[in-house]
Amino acid sequence: MPPMDAAALLQVLFGGLGTGAIYGLVGLGFSLIYRATGAVNFAQGEWVMLAGMATAAGHMAGFATGLAGAASLLLVVAVGVASYLLAVQRLRDASPLLITMVSIGIAIFTKGAIMVTLGKNPTGYPGPLGDAVLRIAGAAIPAQSLIVLAACAGFIFALQVFFARSRTGLALRAAAADRDAAALVGVPVQRMVMLSFGLAAAAGAVAGLVITPLTLIDYNQGTMLGFKGFSAAMLGGMGHPLGAVAGGLLLGTLEGLAGYAISSRFKEAVAFLLLLAVLFLRPSGLFGKRKAERV
Amino acid sequence: MRTALPRRALLATALAVPAIRPSFAQAQTFKVGTILSVTGPAAFLGEDMRVGVELAVEEINAAGGIGGRRIEWFFYDGESQTQRALNATRRLLSQDRVDVLVGGGSMSGIALAMAPMAEQARVPFISTEGAMSIVTPVAERRFVFKSTVDDDQVLERLADWCHANSRTRVAMLADSSGFGQSAVEQMRLVAARRNLQVAYESFNPADTDLTAQLTRIRGGDSQVVLCWTTAPVGVVFLRQARQLGLGDRQLVHSYGFVAQRFMELAGEAAQGLLLLSVKFPIGDQLPETDPTRNAILGLTERFTAKYRRAPNQFVGQTYDAMMLASIGLQRGGADRNAVRDAIEGIRGHRGVSGVFSFSAERHSGLSKDDVVMLDWRAGRFNLVT
Repeated sequence: MPPMDAAALLQVLFGGLGTGAIYGLVGLGFSLIYRATGAVNFAQGEWVMLAGMATAAGHMAGFATGLAGAASLLLVVAVGVASYLLAVQRLRDASPLLITMVSIGIAIFTKGAIMVTLGKNPTGYPGPLGDAVLRIAGAAIPAQSLIVLAACAGFIFALQVFFARSRTGLALRAAAADRDAAALVGVPVQRMVMLSFGLAAAAGAVAGLVITPLTLIDYNQGTMLGFKGFSAAMLGGMGHPLGAVAGGLLLGTLEGLAGYAISSRFKEAVAFLLLLAVLFLRPSGLFGKRKAERV
Repeated sequence: MRTALPRRALLATALAVPAIRPSFAQAQTFKVGTILSVTGPAAFLGEDMRVGVELAVEEINAAGGIGGRRIEWFFYDGESQTQRALNATRRLLSQDRVDVLVGGGSMSGIALAMAPMAEQARVPFISTEGAMSIVTPVAERRFVFKSTVDDDQVLERLADWCHANSRTRVAMLADSSGFGQSAVEQMRLVAARRNLQVAYESFNPADTDLTAQLTRIRGGDSQVVLCWTTAPVGVVFLRQARQLGLGDRQLVHSYGFVAQRFMELAGEAAQGLLLLSVKFPIGDQLPETDPTRNAILGLTERFTAKYRRAPNQFVGQTYDAMMLASIGLQRGGADRNAVRDAIEGIRGHRGVSGVFSFSAERHSGLSKDDVVMLDWRAGRFNLVT
């Protein structure tokens, strides 16, 4: 057992929160699309990777990182919307299961296309604050970790305001709650689903943009990020954006603490055991409401 | 006379040719089968490794082949997945009927799984992967050889350095792949032999954060922190180790991480780092008397002329493997047992990764003398003496 001094614990806690914020942002994307379609979008992790790879390519080509990042954000949103328009919308019987299957296809395609165009080498770019480190009570916090946390908080806040205050946000919630009823009162349901894909892609892109300076990125990393994001969304309650973020933070922190207090070999095993335990006790996740279904 | 074939006929011919070729070409060629991973997580190694075999095959064929027989090269992508690589191996052994296997999928885990298959088919296999257990115990690996340096030799080299610099306490942070875990096994033996106290930590190659492991290491009293991985997270190791204040301990990376682009990505964080490496990256800094110097400089020149970039040691280790195979084929001919014996009989072959000497007891050709310590300064690797 390692020494349990406050500084070390704080250090591990901050590391876990930073990782968890990324899981949360990725999980948020899963939740948005699940809410709109009932499907699990396996391309979510690839969108994270695309944002990082594209920005790094722009940075290497000599563009300002901010500019490359903004362009990548737009690119990823465009890819998200295009995925919907070209693949999902054309499905004749768009059952959640079918959309899930199609998303696996989109994921494999995205990954392959990036491997061929942007290459296989890991790459990265410096964050806006470089390698600056903040020292808080004996713990060293990379400034970029704070940017990650801020990006996560900012995104979820903007999303909540959008859902609560804007007409479009209200229409999106209506379409998610009951497609047919929403369509009857004149909500363009198809367009709302498209918007959900765009928002989910944006969440993925933001995650990719802020995490790359910390961890580097290569074409293969999307899968693992997607898997962790999916776990976060499940933990928080699928279809509940705020829950996904909470789930991500919890998962990241648990991984960190398990790795520190028990053993780094069982870091993931411990985190996933706890995830299982939560799902046994509350199958709909921490934030999910219990749904009664007529059989 | 027809001047142009219809496209369909052309396609049919193109498809038919590989099927026909073996029947009349069998006697005139040696068949070499290669599996390396040019997609999947190991792709960033696999591409360089593939090119190394490619260049060696081209050079051998341009020089008239082996004893007048050209090399026919069969390459399959291992996709960084053991199952895929094993399917391809089966195909090389039973369908393509290769004379020798060169390259074991770019991942130790894959090469470990391929070794028994080569053994069973009695086809000589020269692995280009790291883990020592690929070629041990030799009694079960009579047909398997390896062109990379052994983990225990590398760790012995580290132990030499530790003793010379009065350090005895090491924290070893190895990834959970075959490459990392095989080194941990060897470290347990070397540590006992050389009086080193070692604390072990582990991580997943796909991890993005090592705070927990490094905080544990910080809580301990290690003087040297050794990281064993080929994954990009090794850059995160360097950065986070500095941020967490481990900069006063000696950070060391294994030969799996000796890559210019990783050092560039690490930037400032790579200052003061030591790397255990073969001599390839610093060929031009070796003394004139060094037996590998000319081999390294020669390959570097030919490679750069053809591919317009500098080669790295991953190119070197597969290039060496192909050259070792060609020596075996030259001496052993069409008889696979004779090829095996011939490879086992190679002594003092000056490759680009070092001087290869095999024996009935050792199927790894390189030794501690082929391992050096490097650092990264002024945008290049430098020999530390």
